[in-house]
Amino acid sequence: MRYLPSSPVEDRALLDTIGVPNAEALLVGIPKPLRLARELDLPTQGSEQEVAWQMMGLANKNMRFCAQFLGAGAYDHFVPSAIDAMISRQEWFTAYTPYQPEISQGTLQHIFEYQTLICDLTGLEVTNASLYDGGTACVEAALMAVRVAKKRNTVLISRGLHPMYRDVLKTNFDPHEDLHLVEVGLKDGVTDLADLQAKLNGDVAAVMVGYPNFLGVAEDLTALAEPVHAAGALLISVTQEAFAFGWFEAPGKVGADMACGEAMSLGNKPNFGGPFLGFLAVKDAHKREIPGRVVGQTKDLNGETGYVLTLTAREQHIRRDKATSNICSNQGLVALRANIFMQLAGPGGLRGLAEQNAAKAQYLRQRLLELPDMEAVGDQPFLNEFVLRYTGDYAALQEACLKESLLPGLDLGRFYPEYAGCILWCATELHTRQMIESLVEILARVPATV
Amino acid sequence: MFLRQREPLSFERSVPGKRGMDLPKLDVPEAKDTRPAHLKRSGFDALPELTEVEVIRHFTRLSKWNYGVDDGMYPLGSCTMKHNPRLNEKVAGLPGFTDSHPMAPDALVQGNLEMLYTLQEWLKEITGLPGVTLQPSAGAAGELTGVMLIRAYHLSHGRKRRVILIPDSGHGTNPATAAMAGYEVVELPSRPDGTISFEDVTDPVNGKVRKGLQTLVSELGTEIAGAMITNPNTVGVFEYRFKEISDLLHSVDALVYMDGANMNALVGVARPGDFGVDVMHLNLHKTMSTPHGGGGPGAGPVCCGANLMPFLPVPVVVRDTVKVGEGEVPRHSYRMDWNRPQSIGKVHTFYGNFGILVRALTYCLSHGSDGLKEATLRAIVNANYIRARLKDAYALHIDSPSLHEVVFSDTLQAQHDVHTLDIAKRLIDHGYHPPTIYFPLIVPGALMIEPTESEGKDELDAFCDTMLAIAKEAEENPDALHQAPMLAPLRRLDETTAARKPVLRWTRA
Repeated sequence: MRYLPSSPVEDRALLDTIGVPNAEALLVGIPKPLRLARELDLPTQGSEQEVAWQMMGLANKNMRFCAQFLGAGAYDHFVPSAIDAMISRQEWFTAYTPYQPEISQGTLQHIFEYQTLICDLTGLEVTNASLYDGGTACVEAALMAVRVAKKRNTVLISRGLHPMYRDVLKTNFDPHEDLHLVEVGLKDGVTDLADLQAKLNGDVAAVMVGYPNFLGVAEDLTALAEPVHAAGALLISVTQEAFAFGWFEAPGKVGADMACGEAMSLGNKPNFGGPFLGFLAVKDAHKREIPGRVVGQTKDLNGETGYVLTLTAREQHIRRDKATSNICSNQGLVALRANIFMQLAGPGGLRGLAEQNAAKAQYLRQRLLELPDMEAVGDQPFLNEFVLRYTGDYAALQEACLKESLLPGLDLGRFYPEYAGCILWCATELHTRQMIESLVEILARVPATV
Repeated sequence: MFLRQREPLSFERSVPGKRGMDLPKLDVPEAKDTRPAHLKRSGFDALPELTEVEVIRHFTRLSKWNYGVDDGMYPLGSCTMKHNPRLNEKVAGLPGFTDSHPMAPDALVQGNLEMLYTLQEWLKEITGLPGVTLQPSAGAAGELTGVMLIRAYHLSHGRKRRVILIPDSGHGTNPATAAMAGYEVVELPSRPDGTISFEDVTDPVNGKVRKGLQTLVSELGTEIAGAMITNPNTVGVFEYRFKEISDLLHSVDALVYMDGANMNALVGVARPGDFGVDVMHLNLHKTMSTPHGGGGPGAGPVCCGANLMPFLPVPVVVRDTVKVGEGEVPRHSYRMDWNRPQSIGKVHTFYGNFGILVRALTYCLSHGSDGLKEATLRAIVNANYIRARLKDAYALHIDSPSLHEVVFSDTLQAQHDVHTLDIAKRLIDHGYHPPTIYFPLIVPGALMIEPTESEGKDELDAFCDTMLAIAKEAEENPDALHQAPMLAPLRRLDETTAARKPVLRWTRA
């Protein structure tokens, strides 16, 4: 086996020093009846060549597209070459959580820089080393809000939140019989203010709204913050497309007390949904309630600046059942990808990318609306995703697109019955005018509804 | 080995006008600005302006202040820092995988679904448990999923239960998880040999009596939802009475959760499904060698018995056999099964850390049944070799047979006022990452060493020689150890001030 550094002579020497005739003798601590009396019923070892071919075979079974007009929480953006080159360094990808700061300063300083940039993007003051993904970041944000708001037991979630984030929230709130998760409806593509006001009361710890929401619309956080804060609750913005931070104002500057969501767009491919990058940024006053790893700046014995994992008194290995969360491993390497991406992009790149996304999506929308069977649904500000009503048959549209290796937008009725017949379209900087024209041309040929 | 040159924060090197990313020419009209004035993005305070050259140099220099598994032995106990095969990285980067969209219809992602299904099958055979979900992103997420399955099981029987039992040697994630799943934690005491005590244990210091498993089960009975047990436990010892423990818990229909952090000691040798485990998680970033990435992403799949399968998170990847003519090889198709009315729901936005799961399957296929077992046995031999070579110089607080890791105590060195932290920091000067320290809590000044199967005899000898030299130094020149590390880029860091006056981001002066 190529990964096991051993030879018969060395094996003998190891066993002789231990004083056992063979390796099996060391299993003495496992009672015989509890051992597996046979070999595992699985294929035997494969050479690198055989395994590579087998895995390539699987990768090749997935359909490839010239263009994907599908976002819905997983966005296809360009990934600069520097990112893969950097994270392929063993010092980054093979290291563990930086428990020993003296030989982990690389990881620790990177996380400190990453924390700084997530705070910059969100306009908030404190964040952690990352969370698993958008859905679980929502859970951590909601549970944190309940801790911060003491004695308030309800979290209101806008129906505009990604449907799968709402599913993950429900799963995780279910075991807490004393906590309630209540949905606030949508009106004209944004959180229904009247419904929100009706549901706000002294039990509400926080209100979570999409920014932009699943339909692509940026909720007006300033307008929402007013009633939410008046009721003594926290406003949490949930962002599933981090490029929005280059287009819309930082949530922390327009009323959000906490910002969470998904930052996979910063330097990652869709990857069938993972590994992605959950984030949660909060105000300084709430820093001791934040879950997960946090890196802080300090000095060493010689007075040199260095970085350490800090505020560990919140964490599971110290507090056990009183910890702020059970999270320990997070998405370290994906956070590194995001950090490198943000540093390459800089303020100009991030703004420029956002402008290109807006331009492409607006052009796609305009061209699609020229088709007879596409209709506008609302006219709110969006970045790179928008909803159109399609009077034709989605299945036929999908088939026509797939035949030409284009992946169409999402059939929104799958998640929102009230939007049956609507499609959620997405365009990013990757979509050339040519791709958009091809799509429009194909859609123009889709036979009308039977 | 470390670059001595200091690398400033990138923000301090930012110069207006530089950029590390050129955008493509815009081939459509410029965006119309429909944003309300107050929602237009204002300035950025920290995003640096740098070229690609500077960004690459920055992250290359920072990387040289890290220690990775290719630098040498990384004996962090319970973390299983084994070799990360490069094939796994290459395969996970195939565009067929990386470009695939999680919302794409099943028919378009058959390769992904077959990959997930195949990994599920491997994990079923390895654990002896018939149900699998690959969604949890890490061990702790797996624990939470597993405990929620236990809860759903009891609810389906029309009852609420209050308590989860957890041994005092357990990882901190276990009690934190039980609390997140709404349970009260009751601690199980350990015996002097490190395993769970059936009998009550009297604390030799304060004389307090701690109730053993037997007492707790008879007193709490049907209040107990389940127990979370690490096996082999955190001392590296197999709970040899596991079957009795699970039988006792099952007698009150409480379920057994196994924390699989130490599964590297069991693959191919023993299967949790065969010794009474109802549900467990695997840490693929440990056992299946997916890279740790400086703290993730990991993967914590959960395997469970038939009694818990109805509650698994949605979707579950299933295989359908396509009917073919007689004598033909059957063909298969794969799909996501979302129609599971008793499911606890989703635990990840999509289907888990897919790219990590690709690496794990690649690891499995490379090793095969024979290689997996060989890896287990070598990991056990390596830990026992270290134990044999160091047991006279470092105290074995617990003398039970070791499996894949060995835990020493600093009691011998403490006589010279040298403690575990000093030993750990001195190892850094010798070019090693220190072992896990001060854990498990039941061993005073614990040094938990897990060499894994990736070390050959020469590497093991070099490490043992170093540990012996440090033991000698502790006797002869203890003060030198208090000063360690001397050769790392930085000396010991002031963690107290870091926590008391936290500086958690850079701000412009």
